[in-house]
Amino acid sequence: MNQKIKLHRFAFPVWAAVLALLMVAGLAAAITVFINGLVVTNLTDLVPWGLWIGIDLSAIALSAGAFTLSAAVYLFGWKQLQPLARTAVFVGFLGYTMAMLCLLMDIGRPDRFWHAIAFWNIHSPLWEVTMCVMFYFTVLLLEVLPIVGEASWFKARWPKLSHRLHGIHKYAPVLAIFGLGFSLLHQSSLGATYGVLKARPIWYKPSLAVLFIVSAVIGGLSLTVLSSKLAALFSERANVRDDILDKVSKVIGWMLFGYLYLRFWDTLGMEYTLEPGRTEGLHILTSGALAFNFWIGELLLGILVPAIILVTAKLRREPRLHLLALVLAVGGLVAYRWDTNIVGQMVAFSYLPTQLEPLYTAYKPALVEVLVGLGVIAYGLLAFTLGVRYLNVVDHSTLPEEVVEPAIMQPAVMPTD
Amino acid sequence: MNNKIGRRDFIKLAAVGTAVTTVTIAAKGNPLPEAEETSPYRWAMVIDQAKCVGCGECSLACQAHNDTRADAPWNRMIELEPLNGEAVYAPVPCMHCENAPCVDICPVGATYHRADGIVMMDYEKCIGCRYCQLACPYGARTFNWDANTAENTAVPEWGEPEIERRPRGVAEKCTFCFHRIDRGLAQGLMPGIDRQATPACVAACPTGARIFGDLNDPNSPVSLALAKYPSVRLRNDLGTNPRVYYLPARREEEVVEEGVS
Repeated sequence: MNQKIKLHRFAFPVWAAVLALLMVAGLAAAITVFINGLVVTNLTDLVPWGLWIGIDLSAIALSAGAFTLSAAVYLFGWKQLQPLARTAVFVGFLGYTMAMLCLLMDIGRPDRFWHAIAFWNIHSPLWEVTMCVMFYFTVLLLEVLPIVGEASWFKARWPKLSHRLHGIHKYAPVLAIFGLGFSLLHQSSLGATYGVLKARPIWYKPSLAVLFIVSAVIGGLSLTVLSSKLAALFSERANVRDDILDKVSKVIGWMLFGYLYLRFWDTLGMEYTLEPGRTEGLHILTSGALAFNFWIGELLLGILVPAIILVTAKLRREPRLHLLALVLAVGGLVAYRWDTNIVGQMVAFSYLPTQLEPLYTAYKPALVEVLVGLGVIAYGLLAFTLGVRYLNVVDHSTLPEEVVEPAIMQPAVMPTD
Repeated sequence: MNNKIGRRDFIKLAAVGTAVTTVTIAAKGNPLPEAEETSPYRWAMVIDQAKCVGCGECSLACQAHNDTRADAPWNRMIELEPLNGEAVYAPVPCMHCENAPCVDICPVGATYHRADGIVMMDYEKCIGCRYCQLACPYGARTFNWDANTAENTAVPEWGEPEIERRPRGVAEKCTFCFHRIDRGLAQGLMPGIDRQATPACVAACPTGARIFGDLNDPNSPVSLALAKYPSVRLRNDLGTNPRVYYLPARREEEVVEEGVS
């Protein structure tokens, strides 16, 4: 049913070995950091949040497909999306573990990671994010356990435990409610983490929380569809229903247009506030060091191009363009998170009355940061590959045909059939 | 596959949820900060830019007494645009804001207000996330990127360390020398008047450009100085209400030679 790319029989071992190698390199870099301290990174007192925070933000945002699709299936009754929600939940679970690995690297005292549970500051958006991430990770874990339990090799070896784990699945609607709540809270609060900082004028605005949640939902859906399609393309053990992916992709396209509107006005509207520090930051974004990222990476390639492809049936049903659009949408989200995190730190506005020139800073990640980052990403890719092979996380064949409403679901032309 | 939740399941789940919430709240107590203990004092610092000659002895005294790194001082000496051909300096410690952004946003409450207004750091709580560095408008916070094992070059010439070195991986900043204040008060001394009870930078200033005292006392050195001269606070537009005041550089003839205390 699905178009497959015939792979050499060594393709999987080579792919797994490369990823494992990257993970080993990342681990070695991480050990260097733990032994010597964060001094071996290129982070400074002026730019304290760098590449790892960028990966952390992106991983959490790209995991948003899990709560979106779980809510769609179990709360809004969009049953035909259930196999996609299964993929999204697994991707989300991996995304949150990636984010937590990055955070563990980034904080100066990883041995105190649990402090937010013990010592509360309810006024801190970061405290709220930490608590919600922990709660939501529990939800994701409970959503992933049935997937593990249902795997045939697991069932054969531990039939009783498998039955238990499968039993958790009946709470899926409850988990979806909690997942929706926690996610809406912390996905927005990650934006607010920046948005409440008056010291950094380009961040200081309530719209960051809105942009973060909107872009996360789009990016999360895009990654879910993208990973499903790639799995189906390369793995014999994955199969997808292109009609379902087609429909979700169209929705992503229209959401991208909405997001383009928000991002455009939210950014360029800042020109008129003439607030010291904010104007300088804006100029870095629109004509300075981040201009290429902003205009090309975010707006043109990250939003406009994929939006046009995904809303146009003819373009969307061209498999290569469809994949390209999804890759671009995911890349656009990463670019947005990167720009947002970095731009506020590139202008440290002077607090002295006679020093009107702001202090400009710069940041390029050090090799150890890059290696750790690559290691974390390699872990995510390897875990997803194994999930496709051994946990059936991309499998639309379970979907009963009659659930699908043909009038809505079937596109006019199915190029892959 | 049975996806339905029965009434019993729902009640069970609700009971478990309620129990967990109750236990959490009971174990934590009230999550809102408790009513602060009160203090008769409200410490503040005044820096007279007309008297500051930029010698940097305040920074050296701070480095010695608080055992800070030479390249990450708690008290920074910044040279500004000259006025009437004369150099103008701004020594910048922590502002000890009444509405401190760092206190608001620290995820674990590792930075907090004492009742007397000092913005404190709990180095045992800090997780080293560095959010406070992004939040502080004054760049007052430094981070321990590695373990500080270097010899303190300001010791012993400018004083002896009075507090412990901070471990690797936590943020740190000026504390108005709370240890000198507390020790002095316990000995019946008055911070701002008695040297041993006054922050090291103020005690060390050779020109009397730094003044310390209690804003609640109208006769304290800071209250008298603020009553006598117009003062500014850095980035007052942010609403942080700093407790460090600056008396801007004035013309020579306006400087009162004998000082204000």
